Amino acid sequence: MKTRVLLLCLLSAAVVAGSPWLGRSLEGDTGRFILENLRIPRVLMAVLVGGTLSLVGACYQTIFANPLAAPSTVGTTAGATLGALVAVVAAPALGISLGNGLPMIAALAFVGALLVSLAIAAIAARGKARVNDILLAGIAISLAAAAISTGLQFSADQVQLYAAIQWTLGHLPQVGYRGVVMLLPFVAICWVVLLSQTRALQTLLGGEERAHSQGVNVPWLRSLVLGVGALGVGACVAWCGPIAFIGLIVPHMVRMGVGASRRVMLPMSVVLGAGFLAACDTLARLIVVGRELPVGVVTSAIGAPLLVWLVVRQRTGQ
Amino acid sequence: MTSLELANVSVRARGKALLQDVSLRLQQGEFVALLGPNGAGKTTLLRAALGLLPAEGSVLLDGRPVREMPGRERAAKLAWLPQQSTAAEPITVLEQVTAARFRFHETHHAAEAGAKKALEAAGAAQFAARHVNELSGGEAQRVAVAGMIAQETPLLLLDEPANHLDPAQQIELYRLIARLWREGRGVLCITHDVNMLRFVDESAVRVVGMAEGRVRFECEYGAPELAGHVGDLFNVGIEIVQAGADRLLVPSGRPA
Repeated sequence: MKTRVLLLCLLSAAVVAGSPWLGRSLEGDTGRFILENLRIPRVLMAVLVGGTLSLVGACYQTIFANPLAAPSTVGTTAGATLGALVAVVAAPALGISLGNGLPMIAALAFVGALLVSLAIAAIAARGKARVNDILLAGIAISLAAAAISTGLQFSADQVQLYAAIQWTLGHLPQVGYRGVVMLLPFVAICWVVLLSQTRALQTLLGGEERAHSQGVNVPWLRSLVLGVGALGVGACVAWCGPIAFIGLIVPHMVRMGVGASRRVMLPMSVVLGAGFLAACDTLARLIVVGRELPVGVVTSAIGAPLLVWLVVRQRTGQ
Repeated sequence: MTSLELANVSVRARGKALLQDVSLRLQQGEFVALLGPNGAGKTTLLRAALGLLPAEGSVLLDGRPVREMPGRERAAKLAWLPQQSTAAEPITVLEQVTAARFRFHETHHAAEAGAKKALEAAGAAQFAARHVNELSGGEAQRVAVAGMIAQETPLLLLDEPANHLDPAQQIELYRLIARLWREGRGVLCITHDVNMLRFVDESAVRVVGMAEGRVRFECEYGAPELAGHVGDLFNVGIEIVQAGADRLLVPSGRPA
């Protein structure tokens, strides 16, 4: 298994390090500018966002004991999307200035993600709440948020609608390091806190009540993971839009590659999530000559069939 | 000496009384067998003892309310073997038993060493590298016992530990439980088969009978009135059969 861990680490590192150099040749001052101010910050964003979404997905799958749990299925992403659409559509209608656009969208997306996740965390903190109840509450809140988001898009004008759709497809383009610097503290807190709970999450694999008898404070652990997960995912979605499938699929890939032990799976989700998103973003940049695809389109196009293949492979035990 | 004391404990769920005014005491070094028909409230009693359920009355662990104790502190005194062990994900046996040592503030290396010792004590060291979802019923139960041993607690709560095991595995498991008890632990064990207690040390076992959420009787395993009590509890006639050195309680098929 150590060899596999090492190989996956090397593969991710190679993708992350190699991505900025792929594409049109970089020559002269313009080339240097593109490399230093466009491509490198973009790869760094992929590392932060991919690592966070995957780690949070792996932790959600553990606390919900459900392989379908991910930021997108427990409401975090839907809350962020709703927040962002409120900023894009409702704020101008109410005469509120968006400034230069992004901070307001990011702030409201963050608030949306946080509110939904804290609502779910509050349900999870109740000792009586069952795992499936919490997951169902997340799905219900996601659907409600998606319905309101659709309503907002329906009432938007063409310019707002284009901005809203562009945002909801997910994107990583950055100029300079502002996004990286803004995201870094949230991501750092998220990674440090979640990885510090590895032992408790590993113990939780034996079942909720068993973990309780072995000393884990299960309601507190669930609330912590949901709250800190919301902080990380909210920040990522706020800046880059909802990037689909990463939080769902990367933990499955890691589980198949290096096993289900959370001691290995959680850090490796960060590593592989970073590499996977960097690879998808490079594809999004290169696949159509002359223009870029939103990275969310690429992660969905790769993620959906890959997820089906992984599940079938797992079921048939191959 | 660590003790668990339930005093006048009642548990209700959806208007139904699952436990009514139950009092029971378990001390380190004691072996208490809990007997009763399905739905008698035995598992509920264990869950209340662990602080998993809100209960009226008092559940005290070393004199402190169990639901108010920090998780790690409670887990240092009381370990539990549930009726069924869930294996949601394919981690190895060693990883699962290592995880059972959550209550200790220790390095992973130390936790793994403790887990290996527990697996040896439970006779399950040979399964260490296997995945938990690939074990047979008997092997899985042995690994679950190893997890309980790894927790290093003075009191053990066991919920039908021999469930789904073949007779040879049942005997082996009860011998293992007896050994844990002889090492000084207090054991509260739910069982449907009172005869399995002969593999412990029958003279030391206290049998508590439960039905409909209440304690119906409490007596020594060797007491002559036990057969009558068991017959009344399950509403069947019980005959005492001497098989070599063993005294067995056998349902006769006639009403009590």
